[in-house]
Amino acid sequence: MLRTALFLPVVLLAVPFVWDFFVAYELGLYLLYGIVGQGLVICWGRAGFLPLGQALFFGTGAYLSGYILTSFEASWIAVGLLLVIAGLVPALIAGLVGAMVFNRQIGSGPYFSLITLALAMLGFQLANSADQITGGFNGMTGIPGLPGVDSYEGLYFVILAALAVSTLIVTYVLKAPFGQLLAAVAQNEERLQFFGFRTGTLKALAFAISAALAGFAGALYAPHQGIVTPQAVGFLLSAELVIWTAVGGRNKVLGPVFGAVFIGFLAAGLRDIFRFWEVVVAIVFVVVVLRFPEGLSGLILAGGRRIALGFSDRARPVRDIELAAVRQESEAALRYDGIGVKIGAVTILDGLSLDISGGGIHCIIGPNGAGKTSAFNALTGKLPVAEGTIAWQGETITGERAYRVAARGIGRKFQVPSVFPELSVGQNIDIALWANRMSHAEMFSMRSYRWRSALLAHLEKLFPFLGRPNIRAGDLSLGQRQMLEFALSNLPEPALLLLDEPCAGLSAIETSEMIEAIADLSRTYNRMLVIIEHDMQVVEKLSDHVIVLHQGRLLANGSLAEIKQNTEVQAVYAGGAK
Amino acid sequence: MEIVTVYGLNLLYTVATLGLIVLGLAVVFGLLGVMNMAHGEFVMLGAYSALIVQNQGLPILLAIPLALLVCGLFGWLVEWLMIRHLYSRPFDTLLATWGLAILMRKAIEGLFGRGYQSIDQTVPGTVHLLGVDYPAYRIVLFGVIAVLFAVLFGWYQRSNTGARIKAMVSNLELAAAVGIDTVLLARMTFVFGVCTAGLAGVLLAPLVRIEPFMGLDYLLSSFFILVVGGLGSLEGLLIGSGIIGGTDIVVSAISDKTAGYLSVLTISILFLWLKPDGIFSRR
Repeated sequence: MLRTALFLPVVLLAVPFVWDFFVAYELGLYLLYGIVGQGLVICWGRAGFLPLGQALFFGTGAYLSGYILTSFEASWIAVGLLLVIAGLVPALIAGLVGAMVFNRQIGSGPYFSLITLALAMLGFQLANSADQITGGFNGMTGIPGLPGVDSYEGLYFVILAALAVSTLIVTYVLKAPFGQLLAAVAQNEERLQFFGFRTGTLKALAFAISAALAGFAGALYAPHQGIVTPQAVGFLLSAELVIWTAVGGRNKVLGPVFGAVFIGFLAAGLRDIFRFWEVVVAIVFVVVVLRFPEGLSGLILAGGRRIALGFSDRARPVRDIELAAVRQESEAALRYDGIGVKIGAVTILDGLSLDISGGGIHCIIGPNGAGKTSAFNALTGKLPVAEGTIAWQGETITGERAYRVAARGIGRKFQVPSVFPELSVGQNIDIALWANRMSHAEMFSMRSYRWRSALLAHLEKLFPFLGRPNIRAGDLSLGQRQMLEFALSNLPEPALLLLDEPCAGLSAIETSEMIEAIADLSRTYNRMLVIIEHDMQVVEKLSDHVIVLHQGRLLANGSLAEIKQNTEVQAVYAGGAK
Repeated sequence: MEIVTVYGLNLLYTVATLGLIVLGLAVVFGLLGVMNMAHGEFVMLGAYSALIVQNQGLPILLAIPLALLVCGLFGWLVEWLMIRHLYSRPFDTLLATWGLAILMRKAIEGLFGRGYQSIDQTVPGTVHLLGVDYPAYRIVLFGVIAVLFAVLFGWYQRSNTGARIKAMVSNLELAAAVGIDTVLLARMTFVFGVCTAGLAGVLLAPLVRIEPFMGLDYLLSSFFILVVGGLGSLEGLLIGSGIIGGTDIVVSAISDKTAGYLSVLTISILFLWLKPDGIFSRR
């Protein structure tokens, strides 16, 4: 890695002298495309969503730059202004579109990709038709070079500097907590929302950064080519950018640069000789998608072996910044009032009314299909509530979205353990510590990796494997993943923690460890814990307050002894009809 | 009054053609979870099939079986080589079919060149309808598509295959366990989707410019319709076609094509923002 860091700049600087300036000129163009591809590394390689219309931002930057260079007197102030505007305008467009499209879309579905493709098509049409400004089909011509820089020879070195800046920015963004959150988005976006992160905004911001890089590259494209045509915003260039990034390697900062240069020079040589050259490129792209998701750079780095897609952990900084414990404002109080939930024609919750207050452990039991998990889902915004209200600390929170509910101090552990499988245990812990605590600025500060809390130390004592942070979470056993997710859901120190069958799939020994941990934490920190449990032995050990649900309604609510005496509960569990 | 009638007929005709184009995309995306980015390119293959038939001097009706054959065989091959490996990786189907779309465009460009081509009107002339003269071919087209939709809908509701597809969609493993050949069924579903696209290409060929990049517009308008109409119901698709097609026609007439395109794109973004499941959501 260090060798590349020294070797590459030397080679790039030597190109004009070893070969000639014509090669350097061509290379400069491919390097600009590579910068656009570096934005795709953030969005696609890291966050797992694919913009298909990146040329829109490249072309916007190029037109803006061309306009400023032709209209204003050449000065370095104008150039500085131009770089800022050419980055800012695309970033604003991308941020706005991203914020809207990602608002309610979870995951990397095709809708976002198609919207960006449609935007590039729109950009192409606008550039073609607005000929007063853009010069229409023939393009904006006669764009002068940067002041004092010869576009044919000197600009190459400016492009190298731009590439260096872009590489540094992308490397930093990926290394910062923001980059780790993007990896978490790609792996388990829903889980991240239950930690209180508004993932749509994270993705929109990543998209805006990639658009800024594209606009920045476009700003240099205009003086480099001296002309900007609608092709610079069109979908053809967008498609090629995706191909270069895929072939070069979408997980490496320099992957797309490598891809653009490699295919660029091959294309320059072969395009006129071989008519179906671009068909071959398309086939290579499909094969890369199917078989080599790391691209050529991944292949070379792995020495031909296939390596898993993922996000490697670097040497962890020592956790030496102690976080204050989260203080509870008031006594916890949760209230369901006549909650009705339907999926299609099936009634899941049928007027559930329930009051739970005070710290300590409250157990929910009930036969399969009683609506236990659905009661959690309705509370945490995972299921739409058709009727009734849910109040938390006296405030109505019915229908609030998952990240909002989480931000109110309601944490949740799922029945099937939900962690970030490609991240290490330490990185999983980072994210849980950041949950509900991290400001936007701290997402870009390396200090956030050093956070620790008293609760973390406590959890590490209860679950010693948490002290070995470099294990991939996906490689843990099911029992350990249950424990990891339990620990993660505790770390934000929520005022109310919902545990959905925390002992499911655990061995007898692991079950008793888990029960011990729950009881221990409950004694130490006075929080409200609501636990769904099937195993009556577990219930007996943990809690004296038991809530019984049956057919989407409250059946009984009282101490364990009362519940055992309740004839209705006996009838349900004995299998008789109510 | 006459202008209103013409616009009304135009709208009906647009809903019919867009409905046919979006049908295959919706079937493949809704049932298999595969967003086929090359859907428009199969429309293009259909149009080029019509072009070949005309250039060979054969009766134009032969374009229909040729397009079905070409799209069917190619679709089969694509499913076998590519799609079937990716049913559990939906994001990669997006990428792979995007690559496929580029491949098909470039292959056709290499074979036929980049320029616009056209084929002769097969049913020339106009028909006097509701007090206006309206192109006869459009009316024929509307009739053909309406019949096709009625037949397909009835077949899907009643046939065993329809029931098997529903079983496969709701529970793949269980469907396989009770003896449904889900591999074949998925392949046939994909082939069906691309064949309807090919058929749409033949039917539209006399009305549009035929060129290697024509498919992209169809992909995007189909996608807009899916966003607005939502997945999972025929009514949704038809109303989505009406909203997207209608907006495009009206705004393009008042201003220009770019404004029409801008308005349907804006509508789609607003839907994704505020009503991501479309007008007829199943939820």
